[in-house]
Amino acid sequence: MNKSYAEQFYYLMKLGRVFELRAKEEYMKGNIGGFLHLAIGEEAVHVGSVLGFGKGDVFVHYREHVYALAKGIEPKYIMAELFGKITGVSKGKGGSMHLYDPKFNFYGGNAIVGAYIPHAVGTAFARKYMGDTTGVLVAFGDGATNSGNFFESINTASKWEVPVLFLCENNYYAIGTRIDRVSPFVDLYKKAKDYMPAKQVDGMNIFEVFDAVKKAKEYIESEGKPYFIEALTYRYEPHSITDTGDYRSPRELKIAKEKDPIENLKAIALREGLLTEDYIKFVDDKVKQIVEDAVEFAISSPEPPLEELYKDVFCEVCIDVVS
Amino acid sequence: MEYKITMPQLTDTMETGKIVRWLKKEGDFVEENEPILEVETDKAVMEVPSFRSGVLKEILVEEGEEVPVGTQIAIVQTEIEKKEETTPKETKEEKEEITISIPQESQEEGQKLPEGTASPSAKRLARELGIDIKIYQEKGLLPIPAHEKDIKELFYKNFFDKDALELIKRYSLSLEEIVKHLKKEKITKKDVLEFIQENNIPQILPISDIQLKVIENLKKSTSIPVFHIYEQIKTGNLPKVEDITLTVWIIKILGDTMQNHYRTRVKLEENIYKIYPNSNICIAVAIEEELFMPVIKKVNKKTLREIALELKILKEKAQSKRLSLDDITGSTFSISNLGMFDILSFDAIIPPQRVGIVAIGTQKRGKTKVTFSFDHRVINGREAALFVDEFKKRFTDTDYLNNLKEEPLNKDLSQS
Amino acid sequence: MLYREALNKALDEMMSRDSSVVLLGEDIGFYGGNYKVTEGLYARYGEKRVIDTPIAENTIVGTAIGMAIGGLRPVAEIMTVNFSLIAFDQIVNQLAKIRYMSGGKITLPMVIRMPQGVAKQLAAQHSQSLERLFASIPGLRVLVASDATTAYYGLKFAISTDDPVIFLEHLLLYPEKMEIEEEKHFSPYRARIKKEGEGITIISYLKMLHDTLKAVPTIEKELDTTCEVIDLCSINPLDVETISKSVKKTKRLVVITEEPKTGSYANEILNKVLEEVFYELDAPPLKIGAEDVPTPYNRTLELASIPTPEKIAKQIIIWGRKHGI
Ligand SMILES: Cc1ncc(C[n+]2csc(CCOP(=O)(O)OP(=O)(O)O)c2C)c(N)n1
Ligand SMILES: [Mg+2]
Repeated sequence: MNKSYAEQFYYLMKLGRVFELRAKEEYMKGNIGGFLHLAIGEEAVHVGSVLGFGKGDVFVHYREHVYALAKGIEPKYIMAELFGKITGVSKGKGGSMHLYDPKFNFYGGNAIVGAYIPHAVGTAFARKYMGDTTGVLVAFGDGATNSGNFFESINTASKWEVPVLFLCENNYYAIGTRIDRVSPFVDLYKKAKDYMPAKQVDGMNIFEVFDAVKKAKEYIESEGKPYFIEALTYRYEPHSITDTGDYRSPRELKIAKEKDPIENLKAIALREGLLTEDYIKFVDDKVKQIVEDAVEFAISSPEPPLEELYKDVFCEVCIDVVS
Repeated sequence: MEYKITMPQLTDTMETGKIVRWLKKEGDFVEENEPILEVETDKAVMEVPSFRSGVLKEILVEEGEEVPVGTQIAIVQTEIEKKEETTPKETKEEKEEITISIPQESQEEGQKLPEGTASPSAKRLARELGIDIKIYQEKGLLPIPAHEKDIKELFYKNFFDKDALELIKRYSLSLEEIVKHLKKEKITKKDVLEFIQENNIPQILPISDIQLKVIENLKKSTSIPVFHIYEQIKTGNLPKVEDITLTVWIIKILGDTMQNHYRTRVKLEENIYKIYPNSNICIAVAIEEELFMPVIKKVNKKTLREIALELKILKEKAQSKRLSLDDITGSTFSISNLGMFDILSFDAIIPPQRVGIVAIGTQKRGKTKVTFSFDHRVINGREAALFVDEFKKRFTDTDYLNNLKEEPLNKDLSQS
Repeated sequence: MLYREALNKALDEMMSRDSSVVLLGEDIGFYGGNYKVTEGLYARYGEKRVIDTPIAENTIVGTAIGMAIGGLRPVAEIMTVNFSLIAFDQIVNQLAKIRYMSGGKITLPMVIRMPQGVAKQLAAQHSQSLERLFASIPGLRVLVASDATTAYYGLKFAISTDDPVIFLEHLLLYPEKMEIEEEKHFSPYRARIKKEGEGITIISYLKMLHDTLKAVPTIEKELDTTCEVIDLCSINPLDVETISKSVKKTKRLVVITEEPKTGSYANEILNKVLEEVFYELDAPPLKIGAEDVPTPYNRTLELASIPTPEKIAKQIIIWGRKHGI
């Protein structure tokens, strides 16, 4: 493991964390609305997978700020989207759950659980069809592995032999329902293992996630076949900005927080000499500044003009076909 | 540096929040992201963190209070010097009443609609009324498109003269029906009258409250056992006194006669007779279609002029509907005079709580027929006969009559 | 009482009365329901009758159909109407048709409950009204619960009828305070006159009904008329009689839905009612609905995309002035 990776890990995870906490604050002030799903606690999976995957298309769920940041989308455009401003990545029309930027091979941001898993399979098919061997990454939660879309997709991807990396973030909960209430077993990689290589990793350890994804990427691209990774993780925050019930014990939360992926990274990297206290301090200050600037940018950006309401529904108004 | 904590938006639908509990006291230190209070929302009770570390300087909203999202609820004193906090935007109070602005006359005149355009119901009405919408629109007398109310308006203006409309209103007739029936260009009052007669349409008149009372009273009266005495009195020889009508003479003479017959001054109540000392007489007064019974009190003590003046005042009051309760209560005997209508004789109904009434016909050759009706429960035949006899005789007692005539005008009449 | 508590009360009463009534859906059990409609029922009736399902809407409806075939009376909750689209084969091809195809031998006494509508900034995939889709499928009863009374009685009826019922609620009504009015006789398929009037008949339901009622005083003041406001209550069947009677009186009809105007359920109402009352109309009917765009996230655009009390008032006033009120 080299130093520059560790630095990137720390920078992106910290950026994600600070960004999301700030977003939560702005939500509570009423500057952000709708749903706001925070990935605090899951940064190792989000950052580790994107960096480990490198080049390639990414499809994810509604809890996607950190994925988007790791993919390289500038924080200020994401923050502006959360504020619903015209400068946001989706012009203020999508919001937190719908960040899209094809420039960064980032295809959302989807609010329908599991619905986009087949999209990833199809995109992989298209890339392969056009002679591009680059793989596609699709991430989803434990809850999504119970959906028809999931099962249908792993079967199809496997049969079609397309380079898709299925990444399941098992944070044990789908909203307020623990996975064992709705699945006969909790080791979710087992759901895919008869279709493709499937592996379980510690999602609180970014090195482990990174390595596994990197290897998987090599596999899918060289073999042209899908691969499945289950990353065990935990979300520290409620499902969306809030939950309506207490379904997790304080003890459970406390244990999970002791495995904080950022603290975990710090400990390992400091021990192994991959990071220095100075660098950490530098990054902490830096990301605070970046996020402040992003908020500043979002606040000072204009609202979308009213005409925007009708734009982007179709590409063109109407065309005649001339033969 | 002060960090303002506002009532947070904790759910996507939350509008107000209630402070359940402060987890810190004023003066306590809070870590960044450490819970500082509990808030109840539309969904649940939730912990709210402070997003800055510092000392909780001031709590602005107490436990148990509910405030809109965005309201400042506490101040945290932070040590870190940083640039100004962005002030949270004012949350607009949800207004109950809506405000809208409507462009006056949205003049986006599309292409002009052709003459003949009207709403289905307007067309139907026009057809029923025999109105050709197109022609009137060409003349500019109907808008394009025409609506039901335009047809009706046209109708009022063009088909009826003013008097006809008034009559129609009085009889609550349907305009459509009349037009269908009469099929004429212009409908006049005469046309409408004919229509009314031909169809024998009654005019409906609401009954006034006072009149309803009268009817009710009259109904009560019919349950009284009554007997009558028919007489003829000489009224032709009464002394001529300016402004004193026959009615006034009769009132006075009746009042004086009543003084000698106590049963004419009785009010019948449950198990007792109440005998009043004075002769209080009510006079039936018809104003338009309504009947009033104002009372002249103490007739026995009043002069002809006083009675005449009082009668005039009471009639005026009746006319302007200003009679007070006192003006219409307290009499024991009544007079109904239809003399001015050339009626020979008639029979009047005793108003409730009175013991009798005298009905006065028209004077013919110096004589006037009078019909007395008595409540048999109070007055028997003999008493009645004596009373009527004395009354009759007084009309020929010249001394008495002259005496009445001489009497000077009495002092004040403020009581009436 | 809250709107959602009226629904809870109906579920509770039906469950305690009939052990064949079972609930199934995502997060409805242990967690108490994403919108708390089923709160407390898991504790009272246990996991056998309040069933937490996987996130698998197609299977939720499909298994509910199987349960109904097997003799139960399932009440399925789809977390929001948006996810019912995943279950459309089950709803359209199965639920709506099995009774007919079996010559009436198989009945499916079940309910699919779900909230719909535009809430606040939930973006396009979570901000839809879809009653038109269900209304157009023969074989489905479709009810809309606009207040606590219709929520309570309507849901009890839906559970007790042997026909499959799509029971639509509105996301923004759940936390609203309202009371259940005592009803001796409740006709689930009848529209209800919420406010009587002489000049304009306005049909709406769910959140739009409340917005309409807010707009009415302004409309009445500006147009110097009175509005008759009707809560539709039932989407299928449609109570043409009640509406026609009202329109014959007022001669003017406005239909308000939260669906985008193109193809909205308002079209169906207008069509059926116009067949009855065309010659009585004194103005072209007015349809008010959302813009023909996916719902945007930005709050200003979002409000611009759907009818609001202000827009309802404004549109009706302009329309009224143009058409001779
Ligand atoms: C098809 C569908 N059904 C239900 C929902 C509501 N819903 C949103 S997130 C969620 C839970 C998803 O859990 P999981 O897949 O584990 O992802 P996590 O939120 O834990 O990251 C549910 C049920 C949805 N968005 N889409
Ligand atoms: Mg999960």
